[in-house]
Amino acid sequence: MKLVLWAAFAAAVIALPYTGLVPAWTPAQATVAGLTGLSLIGLNLIFGVTGMLALGQAAFTAIPGYAAGMLEKQGVPGLLAIVLGVMVSVAIARLVAEIFVRLPGIYLAIGTLGFAFVVEGVARAFPSLTGGASGLVLVPPIALSRDAWYAVAISFLIVALVSFHFLVRGRLLRTLQLVRHDELAAQVLGVNVARVKASVFTLGSAYSAVGGVLLAYYVGVLAPETGGVNASLESLAMVIIGGAGALLGPLVGAAGVQWLFSVAGGAEHYELLVYGLGFFLVVLFAPAGIMGLFVRRKAGVAATPLPAATPAAHAAREGVCLRVENVAKHFGGLRAVDGVSFDVRFGAVVALIGPNGAGKSTLFNCISGIEPLTSGRVVLEGVDVTAAPIHRRAGEIGRSFQVPRLVPEMTTLDNVAARLDHLPGFRGNTYGTARAQLAAFALDDFAERRVSEIGLGFHKLIELSRASAGAPPLLLLDEPAVGLTAEEVSRLVAALQRLKNEGAAILVVEHNIDFVSTIADEVIVIDSGRLIARGKPSQVIADPMVQEAYFGALA
Amino acid sequence: MNLFTQAVISGLMIGAVYAFLGIGLVLVYRTARILNLAHGETFAITGVAAALLAKAGLPLPAALGLAMLIALAFALSLHRFVLRPRAEWPAGNLILITLGAAFVVRGVLVLAAGTDPVSFPALFTGMPLRIAGGVIPPQGIALVVLGFGASAAVGFYLARTRSGKQLLAAAENPYAAELVGVNVERARLTAYGIGAILGGLAGVLLIPLIAVDFQSGLAMTMRGFIAAAICGMSPVGVLFSGVGLGLFESMVGAYLGALYQDPVMFFLLILVALWQSRHIRFGGTRRA
Repeated sequence: MKLVLWAAFAAAVIALPYTGLVPAWTPAQATVAGLTGLSLIGLNLIFGVTGMLALGQAAFTAIPGYAAGMLEKQGVPGLLAIVLGVMVSVAIARLVAEIFVRLPGIYLAIGTLGFAFVVEGVARAFPSLTGGASGLVLVPPIALSRDAWYAVAISFLIVALVSFHFLVRGRLLRTLQLVRHDELAAQVLGVNVARVKASVFTLGSAYSAVGGVLLAYYVGVLAPETGGVNASLESLAMVIIGGAGALLGPLVGAAGVQWLFSVAGGAEHYELLVYGLGFFLVVLFAPAGIMGLFVRRKAGVAATPLPAATPAAHAAREGVCLRVENVAKHFGGLRAVDGVSFDVRFGAVVALIGPNGAGKSTLFNCISGIEPLTSGRVVLEGVDVTAAPIHRRAGEIGRSFQVPRLVPEMTTLDNVAARLDHLPGFRGNTYGTARAQLAAFALDDFAERRVSEIGLGFHKLIELSRASAGAPPLLLLDEPAVGLTAEEVSRLVAALQRLKNEGAAILVVEHNIDFVSTIADEVIVIDSGRLIARGKPSQVIADPMVQEAYFGALA
Repeated sequence: MNLFTQAVISGLMIGAVYAFLGIGLVLVYRTARILNLAHGETFAITGVAAALLAKAGLPLPAALGLAMLIALAFALSLHRFVLRPRAEWPAGNLILITLGAAFVVRGVLVLAAGTDPVSFPALFTGMPLRIAGGVIPPQGIALVVLGFGASAAVGFYLARTRSGKQLLAAAENPYAAELVGVNVERARLTAYGIGAILGGLAGVLLIPLIAVDFQSGLAMTMRGFIAAAICGMSPVGVLFSGVGLGLFESMVGAYLGALYQDPVMFFLLILVALWQSRHIRFGGTRRA
């Protein structure tokens, strides 16, 4: 039924240029808008969904046309030249992405901006190849009537929209939202962030290339500014105005802007300002764009009950899970961690305590791979992981943070599912397992609710259930009890007790001495980066050296 | 005329400009944690406004002063009325806002002056100076002297004065700085102010020698960023990387041709990115 309604709506929109109901909305206008929208789907994937600031996307809409035109001059048959042109453009996009995705986002922004300057500049500078400022003339390999072009544009657009719809959902959507919101958390959950970003950029640029090359052949001339900075900024403006991240956002933006300018007519000098103001005001006051007016923000998952699988219990494991050998981490002259050794056995809770700045969090970061070690080794289940990147350790380590790093705009269920998505060796029903995991922590009531709507006290528990989903052998918990009410602490203690009984090795940083005494089998005290005491909680807490370091003059 | 000397001279001039822009970019980045993509617009606004005001018959010094004031007002209002009320937004959104502001400025500049480059007369006129086979116009001398003078003054301000030290402290750790009584908000406003004045000064001094159009802002922001990235966002180091970048670009222009300047800049950015990537072991990581 819903599908029929959508089809009827689409048919009405497609027929609109022929009805004359909208002034100045001709099939020619609609073709341009449709092809522009098609290329913008790529930018929507890169920027709108994944949040990568790509400031030169127009370059990747112009390159395929230029490449195809140049290949044709060399005698390559038209259709083949077009296909090759698209492939060349996508390959270049991949290269550009590979260079910049490992760095903070601003490098990609400036890098793509610089690339757009280059493409426009080169297109101007070599008239013999590119037609220079007057443009490269492109003749379609098959002569098409106006209506046939419209049909081509609509067909490609439908394919693009449908492929986007089926691609960008479920597991991939969760991954992209995670990457967008928090790259570090994504890596800790096992996502190879650089690879995901490079792939998204490449895939998005494929949409850009197809839309761009079709538009270039439809218009018949490819001018240098098509691939330049202005065109790129205008693309971004259309996506933002239409609704960044929404399926139809880029299409609405392209059609709306196209129509506005054709009605207003001959406003070349105003054009850039209109784009700019639209961009600026939408970013400031209506981040969801035009689509935000129509679409009710719905949670990511339909509330259909799924069969709940029992959470995978830890296989009975024995012996040492984590071995930290002489680990040191120096920041310049500061020895944050200075030769610490200990190990954590399966089925044991080890508490790491020490005054502020003692090096506890740095040690955690060393174990999870966020900080490269100055010296020493980290061994997990007998395997040396000292050199392994963060996301490679994620299968063995479930980690929570001092301030929980959940994705607020995702549901609790999706947050946990995102962990299972990237857990190596997990083959079960993702939602079923995630639901069972939430049930085990008595969080099932929150499953369908966005994290942003849930009280902060629960975030710690939700993060713990995410960290322990799929039963990783080692749990690293950074101050899990801080800020919790007494009732929440007792739930936490029960949950940890259960995980411990299932065989997990648990390393926890905590200041709450009562909590530590209740839960820990062993306490390790760190001060100024050095291990100063270890033993049973009662012994360690009574140790005068610990009293001095930890409680200072108060004790 | 000696090509090499001439390239060094233009390199020093353009390098002084990149140093100017880089300082502003770094100061704002370090105090407000925002990479201000609208930073180069202070250069473009000053240039276009000065050209229009001078053309309208205003005496040159008045036109230049007024143009710089407009750029200063733009930068300060961007911070005070747009960015500051949204300080809690994610950094990515704030960068997007600065891009939007740059975009609006581009639109306004096109509306005000069209798409063709505009310029205005040099403030310092007279016979060009000949040194070792190169020629430098008085305006160029002023640019280099003032460029290094102003940069040194900013360096002195940051390192030696109380207010400058507070600014750096606010940059290092805003919360701790606030606790010991540093006015972080004033530090940020000062950073935007210094940035805008230096950007405007760069426009006043360089534009008579070249020209400016509505596209110049982002091109300048990009070059300022490259200079800043080379030295790892150090407010003093950017003087040297800015001048180095200017010399390099000028050499490329002299020996390869101006057409290669954009591609070579991009190539340089790639090198910087690859070099920086070695220090960041894992994709896009921030410290936990």
